[in-house]
Amino acid sequence: MKRKAFVKCITGIVLGLMTAVTSMPLSAGASGLPYQSYNYNYWEDIVYTPAPYEPDYVVSGLALTWNGEPIGNFVSPQDLCVADDGTIYLADTGNNRIVILDASARQVKGMITSFEHDGAEDTFNQPYGVAISEKNQIYVADSQNHRVVVLNQDGTLARIVDNPTSEVLEDGYVFVPLKVTVDYADRIYCIAQNMFEGIMVFETGGQFTGFFGTINVEITLWERFWRKIASKEERAKSQLFIPTEFTGIDVDPDGFVYASNIDPAGEQGVRRLNPKGEDVIRKGSVGKLAGDLQIAGSTDYAGPSQFTDVVYRKNGIYSCIDRRRGRIFTYDHEGNLLYIFGGIGTQDGTFQLPVAIENVGGDVVVLDATKASITYFKETEYGRLINNAVGLRYDGDETEAVKLWQKVLLLDENNELANTGIGKAYLTAGDYPQAMKYLKLGMSRDYYSVAFRRFRNDYLTGHASGYLTALMVLIAAGIVVSRLKKAGILQTRTKKKSPAK
Amino acid sequence: MRTAFSKEKWKYLLYTLSHPMDGFYWIRHQERGSVPLALLLVILFSFSFSANRLLSGFVVNDVDARTVNSALELLSVLILFLLLCVSNWSITCLMNGEGRLKDIAIALGYGTVPVTIGMILATILSQVVADNEQAFYALILGVGIAYGLILMMIGIMQVHNYTLGKTLLTVFLTMVAFLIIVFLILLLVNLLGMVYNFFRSVYTELIFRT
Repeated sequence: MKRKAFVKCITGIVLGLMTAVTSMPLSAGASGLPYQSYNYNYWEDIVYTPAPYEPDYVVSGLALTWNGEPIGNFVSPQDLCVADDGTIYLADTGNNRIVILDASARQVKGMITSFEHDGAEDTFNQPYGVAISEKNQIYVADSQNHRVVVLNQDGTLARIVDNPTSEVLEDGYVFVPLKVTVDYADRIYCIAQNMFEGIMVFETGGQFTGFFGTINVEITLWERFWRKIASKEERAKSQLFIPTEFTGIDVDPDGFVYASNIDPAGEQGVRRLNPKGEDVIRKGSVGKLAGDLQIAGSTDYAGPSQFTDVVYRKNGIYSCIDRRRGRIFTYDHEGNLLYIFGGIGTQDGTFQLPVAIENVGGDVVVLDATKASITYFKETEYGRLINNAVGLRYDGDETEAVKLWQKVLLLDENNELANTGIGKAYLTAGDYPQAMKYLKLGMSRDYYSVAFRRFRNDYLTGHASGYLTALMVLIAAGIVVSRLKKAGILQTRTKKKSPAK
Repeated sequence: MRTAFSKEKWKYLLYTLSHPMDGFYWIRHQERGSVPLALLLVILFSFSFSANRLLSGFVVNDVDARTVNSALELLSVLILFLLLCVSNWSITCLMNGEGRLKDIAIALGYGTVPVTIGMILATILSQVVADNEQAFYALILGVGIAYGLILMMIGIMQVHNYTLGKTLLTVFLTMVAFLIIVFLILLLVNLLGMVYNFFRSVYTELIFRT
């Protein structure tokens, strides 16, 4: 009996160990993060990378108090924005209020539930978007009241923008502002519901001036052909070719507007609009700005990424948040993907329905409407190195950036941007063999070509005398041999080969 | 009958490359060609094709080296060659073509030589070209392929004693026949698979019933 118990005990321990070992997640779990960080290489294959950002903490309304009273959970919050001093303004849409938080989002600095309007108290109805101007005025997209409310810092009403009138708007158009942002000249850029024409622009005075950044619909020849041969009923049933709506906007310090949109074709989910409203974004070597590149499949989880918001960070770097797979895609000013992190889930650091992304200090902050929480991500060593290296390159200091790229390679030796960065530095320094090596690893064919041509020309000019001398010697030897043969001094082999029978 | 790889056969190959009209005509009528030699040339073409994908310089090469499988490429080139020969033969039989299957094989096989040479030369050249000289690489490849296609066309024409118009028509019909053969093979494989599955399920049924 004792022996049996002993055997049972041993098997129990062994089984326990085995399950512990086999249940250990392989790559992602080892870092303790709830998501995998990866990037796409030149062949558009997934390459796993170290985590560029890791979840720091999550804030929900339950943990916050204002004037000693708990403020209660957020209800479907839709937007947040950050002032220059780090103060966060959160549009708590379902609670019809604006919550003002400090940079860590752990302290409530104020709350706006009502304001005085024409001597009477006025409130919000589903405030969907919020923005802060350089003059520290708060712009609220008060969606169900069909107006944009501009408040001063002390909560008093500055002005109200509503009832846009213009020839280009249909009669009876109902203005439902969703997202709003302001540039340095206090021009309001507003994304309105069912407004496919583009972003609505309001001048400083509040009058509607026109649309901005219209997304053109592209109908392929094939679709045109089918529409041509389809009957009237079929045509009525088929889906309309309407452009996609914008989903989120941000303005960079130069006054360029970054706007995200949901592209069902998976080609371009973010635009950078110049003051004329033209898209001037650069799309990198892939030619796409659409998040995930491997999107095949027919499940809800497959398909093109759906960008719901974009944030301009600094040095030309901007990040987009994907609603479908909860991933944050970060691009540099050339449109190269820098890194990808985040995911859908219930753990801290993953999302259910991410709606807004912001940059607070060095942290990336994401607002989740379903979880009603704000997630802070802090950069890791890997993320910091890439951010700083890209920043140095943006400022034109490529030699300084090389030191950082080399450190990036220690953490992620397949990083194509790092290899290209180092290769370009070698190219400028004139070390062509090294430049070729790194540019090939970085799959930068154009720069490799330049390095290779210079290397080849150097080689040819450096060795020309040797080769030419060798050629001359060979020609001279040939002439001598033929002369000797003619003179009969040198006998050829064929003549020798005549053995007697 | 001389051996398949004798010196005369090689010499006649060179003659055919430079004088395709005469060359292919006498291949049909005087047994001057060689089917084993043609097969060897097709195999060499397959190797040069793989080599071009794998070894040409980084400046012009946009092929992921991990996707190059020379054995698989050899197999597919041989299958393609066989299918083209058979489909052309089956069409020309109905269209008063004089060529036999071996003549068609020789015409197509000899026609690959310029392509092979172009690929090898381009691969060697690609080791030294940089940015804007890529046109030379493309030119060599293009000339090789174009000359190869012309040779094959002339080969088909002479072997069957056709006019040019009729040759073009048969080439088009050959493509159609090619697709039909592929379709039939797929159909056959599918049906055989169903038969196999039927007997298999009968077998498993019997096993589990007892």
